[in-house]
Amino acid sequence: MLELTSNSANNTVRTCDGLSRRNFLSIGSLAVGGLTLADVLRAKASAAESTGSSLGDTAVILLWLAGGPSHIDMYDLKPNAPAEFRGEFHEISTNVPGIRISEHLPLQAAIMDKLSVVRSATHTNAGHGMGAQWMLTGYQPTIEVNDNIYPSVGSVASKLRGPNAPGLPAYVNLPNKHNLGKAAYLGASYNPFAPESDPNSDGFNVRNLKLPGRVSVDRLGRRRELLNSVDTIRRDIDTRGDIAGIDKFYRDALEMVTSDKALRAFDIHREDPRLREKYGRNDLGQSCLLARRLVEAGVTFVTIQAGGGWDTHGDNFAQLKNNLLPKYDRAVASLAADLADRGIDRKVLIMTMGEFGRTPRINPTAGRDHWPGAMSVLYSGGGLKMGQMIGTTDSKAEYPATKPYSPGCVLSTMYHVLGIDRTHVFHDQANRPLPVLSEGRPIEELI
Amino acid sequence: MDCRILFSGATFLALSACTSQILHAAEPATIDPNSVVAGLQKVDFGTQVQPLLTRFGCNAGGCHGKASGQNGFKLSLFGFDTSFDYEAIVEEARGRRIFGSAADNSLLILKATGKVPHGGGKRLDPGSEPYEILCSWITQGAPASAPDAPRVVKISIEPRELVMQPGAKTQLKIVAQYSNGATRDVTGQTQYDSNMGPVAGVSPEGWVECCGQSGEAAIMARYMGQVAVFRALVPHGQSLAAIPNFNTDHYIDRLCAEKWKKLGLLPSPLADDATIIRRTTVDLCGRLPTPDEVRAYLTNSSPDKREKLVDRLLASPDYPAFFAMRWGTILRNSQLAGSDRAAYAFHNWIKDFIARNKPYDEFVRGIVAAAGEWQDAPAINWYWQMRDDQLHQVTADTAQVFLGIRLQCARCHHHPYERWGQEDYYGLAGFFTRLGRKSFGEPPPYFSAPRVTLGDINPLTKKSPEPKYLDGEYPKFSSEQDPRHALVDWMSAPENPFFSTVLVNRLWGHFFGRGLVDQVDDMRETNPPTNPELLDAMAKDFAQHKFDMKHILRQMALSQAYALSSLPTEQNHSDTQNFARFYSRRLIAEVLHDAVDQAAGTKSTFGGMASDARAIDLPHEGFGSYFLETFDRPKRVTGCECERSAGATLAQVLLLSNSDEIENKLANGEGRVARLIKEKLTDEQAIEELYLAALGRLPTPEELGKSVIYVAGGPNRQQSLEDVLWSLLNSKEFLFNH
Repeated sequence: MLELTSNSANNTVRTCDGLSRRNFLSIGSLAVGGLTLADVLRAKASAAESTGSSLGDTAVILLWLAGGPSHIDMYDLKPNAPAEFRGEFHEISTNVPGIRISEHLPLQAAIMDKLSVVRSATHTNAGHGMGAQWMLTGYQPTIEVNDNIYPSVGSVASKLRGPNAPGLPAYVNLPNKHNLGKAAYLGASYNPFAPESDPNSDGFNVRNLKLPGRVSVDRLGRRRELLNSVDTIRRDIDTRGDIAGIDKFYRDALEMVTSDKALRAFDIHREDPRLREKYGRNDLGQSCLLARRLVEAGVTFVTIQAGGGWDTHGDNFAQLKNNLLPKYDRAVASLAADLADRGIDRKVLIMTMGEFGRTPRINPTAGRDHWPGAMSVLYSGGGLKMGQMIGTTDSKAEYPATKPYSPGCVLSTMYHVLGIDRTHVFHDQANRPLPVLSEGRPIEELI
Repeated sequence: MDCRILFSGATFLALSACTSQILHAAEPATIDPNSVVAGLQKVDFGTQVQPLLTRFGCNAGGCHGKASGQNGFKLSLFGFDTSFDYEAIVEEARGRRIFGSAADNSLLILKATGKVPHGGGKRLDPGSEPYEILCSWITQGAPASAPDAPRVVKISIEPRELVMQPGAKTQLKIVAQYSNGATRDVTGQTQYDSNMGPVAGVSPEGWVECCGQSGEAAIMARYMGQVAVFRALVPHGQSLAAIPNFNTDHYIDRLCAEKWKKLGLLPSPLADDATIIRRTTVDLCGRLPTPDEVRAYLTNSSPDKREKLVDRLLASPDYPAFFAMRWGTILRNSQLAGSDRAAYAFHNWIKDFIARNKPYDEFVRGIVAAAGEWQDAPAINWYWQMRDDQLHQVTADTAQVFLGIRLQCARCHHHPYERWGQEDYYGLAGFFTRLGRKSFGEPPPYFSAPRVTLGDINPLTKKSPEPKYLDGEYPKFSSEQDPRHALVDWMSAPENPFFSTVLVNRLWGHFFGRGLVDQVDDMRETNPPTNPELLDAMAKDFAQHKFDMKHILRQMALSQAYALSSLPTEQNHSDTQNFARFYSRRLIAEVLHDAVDQAAGTKSTFGGMASDARAIDLPHEGFGSYFLETFDRPKRVTGCECERSAGATLAQVLLLSNSDEIENKLANGEGRVARLIKEKLTDEQAIEELYLAALGRLPTPEELGKSVIYVAGGPNRQQSLEDVLWSLLNSKEFLFNH
C-alpha cells in the first residue's frame, strides 16, 4: 500500500536503510491525498515492530563535543598514514584485545570493554550550525539559524517518554541550555531545563526549586487558585505554541517545588568529595556526575556541553593533549565506571559526539579543520553491545571504508535504547507530517 | 495519492537539439520545446548536459557538488561553473569517465544508471531522453562548449502567481535568457521545489498540484544557477469583494485588504483601547503604559487620540532608548575585548541618532564608513567586534543587516537558493579591503588606507577582492577615496532594491510579529514576501520620505492592520502569514524585566549605570542578570535578528512564579503594594491599580469580585495584595504583547 518509489531525480541522499528523505515526504503526503494519517501510522508501526524496544525507564546522557572532535586523534588513529595526516599522537592498546585508541585516552582504554565506538559515522555538512543540527535532530536544515528547525533528540524524548519519575524535568541541559537543543515544532513544553550555573563551582545552586522564604505551601496553593481564576486569556492568541508550554511548566513547577526531589537531585554537594575528584574538578567532570544524579532521580535525557570547545583549527595537538582530552577521558571513564558500579549501566546510555570530525590533513597552523566525511561516535551502556570498534575508515580516516552510518543511524540506535519508535510522526507548524527520523535504522552491531 | 507520484506519468519533451545553433544566432529567438530530435544534432555541454547534472541531483550539496566532492568526483554546486564541470567529467581521472566508442560503457553512464555500484543509486533510466542526450554527447566526442558560448543570465517563470483551489493543477513554463539575447524553453531541465508541500506540490516536470491545505506555497525553479519563483495561493474561503468594517484609506490597510480578499480571509475586529495603548507603548517604547497613561487614554474621546498617542511616544526619550537597544543588538555592540567605553559611546551614538530622527541612510553611513578614534566615531566598535575575521564578517553583516541578503554562503560556493555567487560575495568584500587599523587602543582607530591592508584572496581571481556592486559594475577608486562611501551611496540610492526593503521588513516584523519576508533579514527570490505589493509600497514610501524612520514607524503603528484584535476568528484561525489578526508574542527579555519592575513599582540596579537605568537602557550585553539570560537576551555575537531566540522554558516559569527575586519585588517596602496600603486605598481601588499597572486595563467586574473576595478572606492584607499582583505577573496576558 505504501508506495515508496520516488522519482530518482533531485538530490536525495541514500542512507543505510536505503530510504531517502524524499521517500518519507512521499509517505507523509499520502495522508493528505486520501489515506488518513492513522492508516500511515498503523502501517509504519507494524513495520517498526521488528526493531522497536519498549524499555520504560532508560535514560540517555549525551556529551555534546561542540566544535567537532578530532576523530583521527582520538579513536581512529592512522599510524601508517603520511606525516601530514597522522599527527603527533600514538596508539595504545586497551583492555579489549585488538582495539587501540589514542595515548591521551588512557582511562577509557582501561575500560574499553564498557565502550563501543562507531568509527564510520558520516554526513556531508561542514558548517557548525547545520552539522550540529543534523547530528542533534537527525534532519539536515536548509538554512543556518540560531535555533534548531527540527526537534532536538532530547525534546523528542521529553515528548514521547516524559520524565522517568514525577517531580523532575524530562530533559535537562548542563550546565547551560543549548541553542540547538530546543523543541522546535513540538512546542515549548519540550524545551530543556538548565541550571545556568557551573556544577564545579562552590556556589552551584539551581535557582528557584524551593519555595521562597515568605511563601508557605498553603499560600502557594491559594495563589495558584487565584491565578487559575484570573489567567483566562484565550490560549489561541499564540501562533508559536509558547502558551501551551508555559501552562505545562506551571504544572511541572508546582510538582517540583512542593517536593524536594528535584532539589536533592541537583544538589551535587551531597556527593563524596573523592568521587567528585575522580570525575575531575572541572565543568565537564562535574556535569557528568550531576547527570548521573539526575538520571538516577528520574530525568530521561541529559545533554552536556562543557569542557571547552573542540574546534581546533589551530594548535590542535597541544589543545587536545593539554586540555580537552584529559578532562574528557576522565569524565567519560568515571561516568561509565560509576554507572556500572551502581548497576544502572544497562539502563543508561552514554553517548559522545560532535557535529563532525576534523580534517585528517593537518593545516599550516598545526590545526585540523571541519570534516563531516568521517567521525567517531562513542556509546556506552544502555544495554548495547560494548567492547567494539564498529566500521572502518580509509587509510587517511577521510571517509568510511566499511559500514557508513548516517546521523539517522547514529540517533536511531539511541532511540532504540529509549524505546522510541523512530517512525512516529509529528506535525510541524505547516502541518507537514514529519517522522522522528527521516532516515536511518539502529546500528546492527550495537543491538 | 501523492501529487508527486501521480505526476511522474506526464512526460515533457523539452530539450531541443537545435539549441546550440540558435543560441549563436544574433537575434533573440524562442524555440518550440516540443520539436525534439535528440541525438541528431550536436549536443552542447553547457546548455544541455550540465543542466541534467543538476536535475538528477549529481551536483547537489549532498553529493558531488559539495566542497570535497564525492568519492573523488567533484562537480560545481548546482552547476555554476561550466568549465570546471567539463574538466571533471572529460579530462580528470584520465578520461575514464567517458568512453567515446561505446558511450553506454562510460563510467558516467554506468554509475548514473546504477549498472556499477553508485553511492547515489540509480539516477537515470536507460533509453530515457536525458540518457540519449548524454550518450549522444559522448558519441560526438564530448565536445566542450565554445569558449564564447552564451551563458544563462536569467530565467523567467510563467505563470508567476495563481489563486488556485484545492486539487487544481497548472503547468509551469521556464524560459532561460542567454547572454547573447537568445531565449530557450528549459521547462524540462529545470529543478523544482515547493516550500509548502501540503499546500502545493510540484513534479520534476513542473506540474503543480494543490494538495488540499489552504495557504500559500512558493515553488522554486532552478536552472543553471538562476532561480525563479511561482506562488500558489489556495484561499481560506471564497474570495471577497470587500472587507466589511475595515477602513482602507491608508495604503497599508488597502494592500492588506487586497490580499485578504484574494484569500477569502476575514480579519479579526479591532482591539479595544486598552489593548491598543499597551501594544503601541510596548512596541514603540519597550515599556508598559503607566496607570495614569491608561486612564487618560481610556477617558479621552477625541477622534485623533491614537495619532496623539503615537506622536507622544515617538517624542519621548523611551523611543530612542528602546530602538538603540534593538539596533545595538544586531550591530553587535558589545564590551568584549576591553571595549567597554566604546560600547557605551556607540550605544549613545545610536540613541542620539534616533532621538534626532536623522535619516536612516546617514545612520548606515556612520556605521559602514566609520573611521577615526572611538571617541569621535564610536561606530568603529562595529568593526572591532568583528576583527577576528574582519573582512568576511563585515562583508556578511553588511549584506545581512543593511541589505537583507545572507551572502555568506557565497563566500565558498554559489548560493544554493539564490543567484549570488562568489563573484558577488568578493565584489562586496572588495569595498572593505583597504580598512586600516592602528596598533594601539581598545578599540584602535580605524581608517581608510590608501592601499589594500587585508590579505584575503578572492579564489576566483587569486588576487585581493576588487569592489563590485551587487548586480552592477566594478567601480575604480583612487587611493584618496574611501570605497565604503561609494558603497553607501549605492546602497542608499532610491532605486536600490534592497536597502529600504529590508528596513521596512525588519520594522514590520517588529510591529507585526513576523516579517512580510520571514526571516526578516533573509530576502531572496526563493523566499518571497507574503505581500510583495505592500512591501514595495512601504519601501517606496520610506525612500520617498528621505529615509525618515519616524515617518515609516508612524505608518505602521497607525495602520488599522496593527490595531486588529489578537483573538482569532473562525475565518482566520489558520492564518499565520497574512496578519488577519495581531500575532501575539512574549515580551522580549529586556522589556519583560522592566515590566515586572513597573508593575511591582520597584527598581533594579545595574553596576555602573545610573540609578534609574532599566534593562532597555543597558548599552551592551555585559550586565550579568539571571532574569535577562533566562528570558534569552542575545549575546550580541551575530548580526542576525534570529539571535534573539524564542521559546518558553521551565526555568522562566520557576523564576516568575517561585523566586526570591520576584518575591522581594512584590514585598518591597517602597513597592507598589506597600504604597497602595500606605495610601489607604480600598481593596477595590488597590486591585484596580494593580490591574492597570500590570495589564494596562481595568479588571472586569468578575475579576474584581474574585480578587476582592480573595483579599478579604486572606489572613494578611499586604500578603493578599501581593498574591493578587503575583497572579497578574504570572498570567499570560502580562507575559504577552497581545
